[in-house]
Formats: sequence, structure tokens, C-alpha cells
Amino acid sequence: MGLLQLRTGDKIILIIVIVSLVCGISLRILFANGSSKIVLIMVDGKLFEEIPLSVNTGHNEDILVESKEGYLSVEISNGKVRVTDSTCKDKLCIKEGEISKVGDTIICLPNRISISIIGENSNIDTVSY
Amino acid sequence: MTESVIFVERTLTSRNKKVLLVLTLIIVVFLLWFFYRSNASTTSQIYSMNTIIDIEVSGMNRQEIVSQITEEINNLNGLFDDFNPKSDISLINNKAGIISVKVSPDTIDILEKSKEMYTKTYGKFNVMVGPLMELWGFKTGDYRVPSKEQIDEVLKLTDINDLIIDKTNLTVFLKKKGERLDLGGIAKGYTLDKVYAILKENNAKKAVINMGGNVLVYSENSKETFNVGIKHPRADGIIAVLKVKSGTFIATSGDYERYFEENGKRYCHIIDPLTGYPADFLTSATAVTNEGYLGDVLSTAFFILGEEKSLVFAKDLAVGSVTVDGNLNIHYSTDLSGVITIENRG
Repeated sequence: MGLLQLRTGDKIILIIVIVSLVCGISLRILFANGSSKIVLIMVDGKLFEEIPLSVNTGHNEDILVESKEGYLSVEISNGKVRVTDSTCKDKLCIKEGEISKVGDTIICLPNRISISIIGENSNIDTVSY
Repeated sequence: MTESVIFVERTLTSRNKKVLLVLTLIIVVFLLWFFYRSNASTTSQIYSMNTIIDIEVSGMNRQEIVSQITEEINNLNGLFDDFNPKSDISLINNKAGIISVKVSPDTIDILEKSKEMYTKTYGKFNVMVGPLMELWGFKTGDYRVPSKEQIDEVLKLTDINDLIIDKTNLTVFLKKKGERLDLGGIAKGYTLDKVYAILKENNAKKAVINMGGNVLVYSENSKETFNVGIKHPRADGIIAVLKVKSGTFIATSGDYERYFEENGKRYCHIIDPLTGYPADFLTSATAVTNEGYLGDVLSTAFFILGEEKSLVFAKDLAVGSVTVDGNLNIHYSTDLSGVITIENRG
């Protein structure tokens, strides 16, 4: 009689563990979907800042990014990112225009600054350019 | 007697079952942790070879691998970078028309491959373009459109036969004063070959290396596929995706990387060594190969050749090619049919 009760208890514990595992994983998958894009700013190869890129707000953000070589200004607005000003000579980073898709990158080589858009749901490993 | 035997049997079985369950859980947790750890990846970003390099390596030995790759990149950069006055290339350039210079075996190797590729590309790839790059201002950023006379004059300094390589004594000599080597079209691809060797030597689990747009993908599983995008030459995002396997090199040349505009015309940094003018048939050209230096060189050659000639050329060399023209028309070699997906621009 005592043995049977333990077995049932074991079963209950097992069910609780499995259910919570399933719930945990499902929640993770559910919340990972949606526009989870992030603007990744690297300076001299090191992380400078990570900013979530939300698509719909009228939210404007201007960031001054400084490196040992110079600096540039990044504008983030309505889910798009662009460089508005830079101390570099050729201004290629400004000419690049705006980026908004996962995998897109703006690089200012003279200033050693890179601005890329990363996200969880991209199936692209890297981009050849 | 029989009852107690049955009782003992039941007890043991019940306890064993619990022990078995706990053991199984422990093993499962351990396996999950081990799986997670061995698939964890490290990313590193460095500036070298006059470009930005993104290195991503997975597996238990990834730190060691990243370290070796970084060291090799910096080592080769020290030899090939013409902005570094102490590099082999700078020393050769500075002694042009004067005397031969003793260099490292890697420099001899890359220059021999460069000469070989000059012949293979019928002169469309030429490491003697240094003076032309300078003339158009691509070395300093002082962009200008030179006159035809100036171009013709400088073209005299781009003769590949003036590049004298002594393999035995490890020396290199440029015959005429003013001649200058520029390895911009081959250095990254050449370095990727070395990186590939490091990955193989170390039995890397998985790696994605992006050297200024030159890509190498690697996996210990030869059947694993990677999705490599080709940058859209005129808009953000990608224009196509290539589904490729380990050991594939993808190199792209585009007119959007380094350029200037004058009177409404775009002049990019990829200069046709035979005409002396920047090529303008295409906005982007991609080479898909299984050798790094070859892909790097061919992406330049394809870009200069234009779409039709590139496809013929690619077929001859049994490599993949993708070209995008000024109207964003995409053409690719038939061997890429099962591999390429053109992105729909909605």
C-alpha cells in the first residue's frame, strides 16, 4: 500500500516537471517571435551599444558614437537607421543611406565604427558585399 | 517465505525505478548542458587588411581558433598592407626601379598567384594597378577624374612583366620607378585560404568568417548548409541568398563600396587595368569558389567583364557567378540553380 502511494507521488512530480518544461519552452518561443530587431553599434571591434529597433513608434533617437579615430552621428527613427554626420573623409557611411533589415550593416572604416541590425529570426548566416 | 520474497522483489524494483529515473534525469541534463556548451559560439570583430573582419566560431576549442585566426590575419596584414610603410609590399613599392627586396614566403606565394591570375583573367586582374588607383584618388580619398593623357601615361606603369619574382632567393623587384603593387583584389581571399587551413587543422566545429564581404563558411559536418546573402547593390537588405556547404568561398565586388560621383556619373574603385577607367557594366558581381584567392580575384574580374563574358568565364573555370547590372537584372551561372534564391522585392 505504502509503495503504491510513493509511485503515484513520483508520477505527479514527473508530470509537474514535464508540464513546466513545456510551458517554459513555449513561452520562450512565443516571446521570441515578433520584431525583435536590435541595432548593434561596435567601435574598434568592441561593443558600444545595443538598441532595440521598434518599428512603429514616432520615437527618434540620435546617438553620438565616438572612436579613437573620430566620431559619427547615428539617427534611429521609425525602425530605420542611418548615419547623419561623420568626421570621415569619404562620407561613404552617410551615402549608404538608411538600413532596416536584419543583416544590414553600415561601416565607417576610417572611424572603425560598424552599425548592424541583428535579430533572432534571421536565417541568413552572413552577407557577402 | 514466498510472500517475503515477493515483498523484497517489489521493494527493490520500486527503488531501482526511482534511482533509474533520477540517473536518467541527471544524464539528460548533463547531455543538454554539454550540447549547449559545444554549440556555443564566439564572435570577434577586428579591423585589419583595410577592412572590417567578423569571425564567428563554435565549439569547445573556439577561443583557441579565434586566437590563431586573429594572429594569422595580423601577420599577413603586416606583409600585404600598402598603408603600412614596413610591409613587404610597401618596401617593394618604395624600391621600385632601384633594387630588389627580400620578402617572406607568403609574399612570394601571393605574388606568384597574382601573376598566374593575371594570365587567367586576360589582364582584367592586375596587381600592378597601384599607380592607377592613386591617379583616381582612391588611395587618399582625394577623388578626381583624370584626363585621358594622364591615364595613358600611368598605364605604362602597370606592366605585369615588370614584376620580377625570385623564388629561390625570396626577392621581388619592380623594374620601373613609380610602379606600385596593390593587393586589394586578392589579399582577403588569400588570407581566407589560410583561415580555412586553421579551421581544418583544429577540427573546428563550425565557423562563419566575413572579411570585408569575402565570406568563408565551415562545418565539421560536410552536409551542413549555410545561407549567405548577397548585398543588394542599390538598396538595404539582400538581393539573393546562396545555400552553400562547408568550404565554400563567396566574394563580391560592388560599385557601392568605394566610389565618388562627378557630373552625375559614378566612379568606383574597381578599375579596368586595360582601359584605366573604373568598370561600369555592373553594380555587383559575386564569385562562388572553393578557393579563397581565386574567388576574390574572380569577383573583380567578373565585375570588370560584365554579365555575358563573366558567365562564359565562370563556366570555363567551373566556378559559380552572380552578376547584377545597372537595371538590377540578375544573372547567374547554371551550376547555382539549386543553390540561389532571388529575393522578392515587395
